[in-house]
Amino acid sequence: MIKTAPSEYRFTAPRNLGAVFGRLRTSGPFLWVLPAGLCVLFIFGYSVVDLVQQSFKYEGDWVGFENFSLVLTDPLFRTAMSHNFLLLFTVPILSVMSFICAVLLFETRKGMKFYRSAVFLPYILPIPVIGVVFGQLLQLNGALNSALRAMGFESLALDWLGDPKQALWTMSGIIIWKEVGFGTILILARLISIPLETLEAARIDGAGFFRLHLKVTLPQLRPVILFYIINESIVMVSWVFNYVYVMTNGQGGPGNATVVSELYIYRSAFQNNSPELAATAALLLLLATLVFIIGFFRIQRNASKGVFDD
Amino acid sequence: MNIRGKAFAVGSAAAVLLTSLSFIGASASVKPSKAITTKPVTLTMWWWGEQEAPGAQAWVDATVKAYQKKRPNVTIKTVLQTTDGLMPGFAAAAAAKSGPDLQYFWGGIYSQQPGWDGQISPVSDHIPADELKHYINATTELSFQGKIWTAPWYVNPSFPVLARTDVLSKYNLKVPKTWTDLLKVCDVLSKEGVPTLAGGVKDGWFGGWLYSIIGGQSVTNKDVVAAVVGKQKFTDAKHADWWTRLQETKDRKCWNSDINSLELYQAQQLWKDGKAAMTVVAGPDAPNFANAVGASKVVVMAMPKWSTGKFAGKMGSTSQTIGITKWSKNKDVAADFLMFSHEKAQLNSWYKLTGSMPADDRFDLNTVKDPVKKALFQSALPGAPYLENFIPAQLDADAVFTNVQLVLAGTKTGKAAAADMQAVMERLRKTDRSLVKNFTAWNK
Repeated sequence: MIKTAPSEYRFTAPRNLGAVFGRLRTSGPFLWVLPAGLCVLFIFGYSVVDLVQQSFKYEGDWVGFENFSLVLTDPLFRTAMSHNFLLLFTVPILSVMSFICAVLLFETRKGMKFYRSAVFLPYILPIPVIGVVFGQLLQLNGALNSALRAMGFESLALDWLGDPKQALWTMSGIIIWKEVGFGTILILARLISIPLETLEAARIDGAGFFRLHLKVTLPQLRPVILFYIINESIVMVSWVFNYVYVMTNGQGGPGNATVVSELYIYRSAFQNNSPELAATAALLLLLATLVFIIGFFRIQRNASKGVFDD
Repeated sequence: MNIRGKAFAVGSAAAVLLTSLSFIGASASVKPSKAITTKPVTLTMWWWGEQEAPGAQAWVDATVKAYQKKRPNVTIKTVLQTTDGLMPGFAAAAAAKSGPDLQYFWGGIYSQQPGWDGQISPVSDHIPADELKHYINATTELSFQGKIWTAPWYVNPSFPVLARTDVLSKYNLKVPKTWTDLLKVCDVLSKEGVPTLAGGVKDGWFGGWLYSIIGGQSVTNKDVVAAVVGKQKFTDAKHADWWTRLQETKDRKCWNSDINSLELYQAQQLWKDGKAAMTVVAGPDAPNFANAVGASKVVVMAMPKWSTGKFAGKMGSTSQTIGITKWSKNKDVAADFLMFSHEKAQLNSWYKLTGSMPADDRFDLNTVKDPVKKALFQSALPGAPYLENFIPAQLDADAVFTNVQLVLAGTKTGKAAAADMQAVMERLRKTDRSLVKNFTAWNK
C-alpha cells in the first residue's frame, strides 16, 4: 500500500497565482541586482569592517581609542586635513569656470568640436604626465618663469612649487586646469538637451546674453551643477593624492606645504609601517567624505523625483 | 685506580670535553652550508642601484646569467625599482607576505627595521660566518643581537663633495677645506651669480645626505641613537648646530636659487655644465661625474669641516645590501646566489662595469689605477658612520627632509628646525611603541 505524504508536505497550488506573479514582478529588479549588490557589499563592507577593526588595534592587541588620539593630535594629520579643506575652495571656482566654458562653447557656432576637445583634453591626460610636465614648467628657472621674465614681469616669476607659501595654490591651479574639462562637458551635455524653443522664447521676450543664461539656462542646469559640485568636493577631500604624489615626489613638500590626508594615510601605511594609524586616518577621512556622499545621494534622489514628476 | 689509569681517565675526559667544546663552538659560529636543491627553482629579486651606480643593471644581468649557468635549475627574475617606489613596494609585498625572494635595502635602519618587523630572514642564518666576515660594513650597520640582517653588496662612500677647480680658479678661488673658507667662497661667487653648491631638495633625499655630511661632524652614531631613544635631545648643541650651519649656507647664498624646485639629479647637471663650483654626489657615481668633466679639474673631498668632532672632515661609509625575505621558499638558494655574487669574478666584474667598490674586503684595491677612485675607496675603509642610517626612516622623512626644504627656502630658522626634529622624535616614540626597545637593543 502506498502511503500518502502528510498534508503539510503536500504541494498545494496557491489560491491566487496572480498575487504571486505580482510579488515577483515587484521584487524582480532586486533579485537581478542581488549578485552585484552582494559583490559590492562584500568588497566595500569587508574593507570597512577591517578598517574599523584595525583602527582599534596595535599589532593585533585591542587599544581602544588610542590610535584615534594619536592621529587627531598629530600636527601633520591636522595640516593634511586643513589642506584638503583649503582645496575645497577650488570647487566654486571650478563650477563657475565650467559653466562659463559650457555656455561659451554652446554659443560658439564655428569650431565648437575643436574647442570642446581642447577643453576636455586635460581631463583625459594621465596625472603622471601632468605631474612631469608641470614639474618642469613651473621650476623657478623653468619655461613659465623664463617667459614671464622675458616679458618684463620679473616680480611674477615665483617659485611656484618650491615655495611653501605658493605650492598649495599652484597645485590648486593645476587641479582646476585638469578638472574644468569634466564640468564643462557635463554642463554642456545638459545645455544641449534644453529645448531650443525655451531659449528662443526668452530671446523673443527680449532677454540678452547674460539675462538668458543667468535667468533661463542656469536654473535648468541646477541638478547637473549640484552633482558636479558634490563630485568635485569628494575629489578635493579624498582623491587628490595622485596630484600631490607625482608633483612632489611623494613628499607633500616643500616642508609639509602640500600634504593631504590621503598622502598621510599612504605614508603611514607604506613608508612608516604604521598600518593601524593609516586605518584610523582612513576611517576619519571616510567619515568626512560620507557627508558629501550623503549629499550626493540626496541630490540624485531629488533629481530622479524631478524626472519622474515630469 | 693507579696513576696511569687516573691520567688516562682525566685525559679521556679532557679529550671528550675539548672535542665537545670545539664542536659546539664550530656549530655556533659557522653554519655548515646545505646542499643546494637540484629541483627547478625560481627566485625574484627586487633591486635598486642603477640610479647611483650606472652599470649595475649590466652587472645584475651578467651575474644572473653566470649563476644560472652554474645552477641550471635556478631561474632568477630581476626587477629594477624606482627610488620613490623601493620602500613602499616592499612594504606592500611584506603586508601580503608575497613578492621578492631577494630584496635590496639601504644600510643601517633601512635593513634593521624590516628585520625587527619580521620581514626578512637574517643572512647570517644562511651564509657561514667565515664568508660574512669579508662583507664590508656588515657588522657596523647590519648586525643585531649577534645576527646580521642583510648582505652588503657595494660600498657607498657617503657622500663625496666634488669641487671644480676650473670654475673656482676663474674667480681666483681655491677649493675650501674649512667651513669658514666655504662661506667666503659663497660670498664671492654669489656676487658673480654663480652657485657655489649645486643641489636639489624637491625629492627630499638630499636633505638626508646633508644631515649626514654636515650633521655627522659633531656627533657619533651612538649619540644619534641616544637622541632617538630619549637619552639626548636633538635640540642639544651637538645635535642642533648643524641646522645653524645649514641656515648659514642659505643666508650666504651658497646654493642655486632653484634648489627647492629641482630634484637632486637635475641640480647636479648644473655642476656638470660648469654653472656651479661644487656639488655632492652618490659615492659610486663620483668617478663618473669626475670623468665627465675631466678628472684633472675635479677634487673629491669630504664636506668642509665646521666642527672638531671625531668624524669631522671624514667621509661616511655605508654598504647597500641585499636581504632574503622571510616568506621566500628558497632561502638557501637565495643565499647561495648572494655568496656567488661575492666570488672574485663577480667582484672584479662589478668594479669593471660600474667603477664603484664591491662590499668585500677580498676585492683587490691594487687593481684600481684611477686616482679618484682609489682615493674614494680608501676613504671609505674605514669611513665615518653614515648618520642617516641610524635614525628612524620616519624621522628622516618627516623632520630632516621637510626641515631642510624649509630652511633652504628661507621660511624656517635652523633653531626652529632643530626644535621640530625633537618634537617629531618625541611623537615617534609614542606612535612606534617598540622603537625605543629596538634602538636600545641595536645600540648595545
